[in-house]
Amino acid sequence: MNDGPMGEDNGPMGEDDGPMGEDDGPMGEDDRTGATTGESGVVVDAVGKTYEGDGPPVRALDDVSFAVDGSEFVCLVGPSGCGKTTLFRIIAGLTDASDGAVRLAGTPVTGPTTDMGVVFQEYHLFPWLTVEENVGFGLERSDRSEAERERRVDEMLGLVGLAEFRESYPKSLSGGMKQRVAIARALAVDPELLLMDEPFGAVDAQTREMLQRELLDVWASTGKTVLFVTHDVAEAVTLADRIVVMAAEPGRVAEVVDVDVDRPRERDDPAFGEHVARVRELIGARP
Amino acid sequence: MATDTGGRFDGDELRTGLGLDDPRRLARGAAGIVGFVAVWHLVSLTQPAYVLPSPAAVGGSFAEELSSGTMTTALWSSVRHWVPGTIVGTGLGVAAGVAFSWSGLLDDVTAPLVRTLRPVPPLALIGFAIAWFGINDAGAAFIIAVGAFWINFYASYGAVEGVSEDLLDVGRTLGVGGDLDMVRSIVLPASLPGILTGVRTGLGRCWMLVVASEIFGVPGVGREILRASNNLLVDTVIAYILVLSLMYLLVDVAFRAVQRRVLVWRA
Repeated sequence: MNDGPMGEDNGPMGEDDGPMGEDDGPMGEDDRTGATTGESGVVVDAVGKTYEGDGPPVRALDDVSFAVDGSEFVCLVGPSGCGKTTLFRIIAGLTDASDGAVRLAGTPVTGPTTDMGVVFQEYHLFPWLTVEENVGFGLERSDRSEAERERRVDEMLGLVGLAEFRESYPKSLSGGMKQRVAIARALAVDPELLLMDEPFGAVDAQTREMLQRELLDVWASTGKTVLFVTHDVAEAVTLADRIVVMAAEPGRVAEVVDVDVDRPRERDDPAFGEHVARVRELIGARP
Repeated sequence: MATDTGGRFDGDELRTGLGLDDPRRLARGAAGIVGFVAVWHLVSLTQPAYVLPSPAAVGGSFAEELSSGTMTTALWSSVRHWVPGTIVGTGLGVAAGVAFSWSGLLDDVTAPLVRTLRPVPPLALIGFAIAWFGINDAGAAFIIAVGAFWINFYASYGAVEGVSEDLLDVGRTLGVGGDLDMVRSIVLPASLPGILTGVRTGLGRCWMLVVASEIFGVPGVGREILRASNNLLVDTVIAYILVLSLMYLLVDVAFRAVQRRVLVWRA
């Protein structure tokens, strides 16, 4: 398997040129309020979220800042209750932030946009549409010609290996196949960023490993920027160039960890184990 | 709508609809009917005909009404009430249910009105039917439409309420813009199973309402039932009830076949 991800070396920005210096510590000391026009990837800039309810206001996220460079694969991990899902929804434009901003390729995210391909944990395929209709759903709203749309659907189905199931309805697919369709559907509109919320959380361990390998292949062949939310540390170390580790109460960035392990990564590689231990410690050690 | 409704109906679907594909089930059903008629026959021997006529007497009346042409005329007349009443009531009910359920504004504006009008039985509107339409087919269709409206309104309203917020989120991230696009591409197909259940319930209810809708003198099956009741011709009453049952059965089987076809994607 050729696993040389284009992202690591070919990204439009070297990793060290990212808007956020990696050794700067979790909270931004540098001033990043001015949007740089040449920005690629996604920038999460001092995002906070406060829920006002009947009781005292709850601070779900506080001053969350990090960046995902173009073509980079970043995982977001953290203990339950650290606001991962809230942050995911804010980045996707499905929930408003109380403060701060999210920028995608330099443009502030003010609502859902087709520049982002979003994949949810529970697949959420449209059950009344066939596999190919699901994949083509977003394309119908683009200005592509019909021939172009068909070609794109074919390409996506080939990418996730589901060409022969194109006329099936989701009810007849396994969990792993449904998630492949969801990924193909998200990628079909050629988004800047693939944003995934625990996408492999609902499938069995074996399927999960297969999907992880496939996702890395897709990433390598498309060069997409990926932001992948997970609670599974080993999964994050398997996939990511960098791991944004979050802490809870309030949800904030604890640290950003570089994963300097060659791909394909094997779980019995000592370096792999060290990274897993380090991230686990960060999650556990922070109050 | 992207649902595959193309293709032809084949015999298999019709047989499944009628329950003809399972011989054992069919045999049991037949046994049930035979048993019922037998008990009916035995009980009718102990009662005068104006209390409970025998199955044979009902059969005789049925044949008589049919051969004299009274039954076909009455049925044709009722069909002319049922078809437009059901179509208009169903269409408006589904449209209003979907719109009021989807739009918070419409819902707020109409909720008190809906709660006020909901308990009014279609029969209580006969005065309006006569005043607005007259003692004619349109008046009878109006009564049926009111009944169909409420069933479909509530079924559609509930079905739209039940559409998963997650599917709407997926739609938003895939570029679905605006209420019209959202309703057309996601809300309607997602709520279609619930809407069709309402339509099916309404189809049956409307055959029941045929009797009520003809109470003020419009000819039809309902009128025949009321006329025969007034003359204590119970065998004729039952013969016409059988007509309504058969019509309901026919429509229901056909609708279920359509439903199965339209919802082929369902698990």
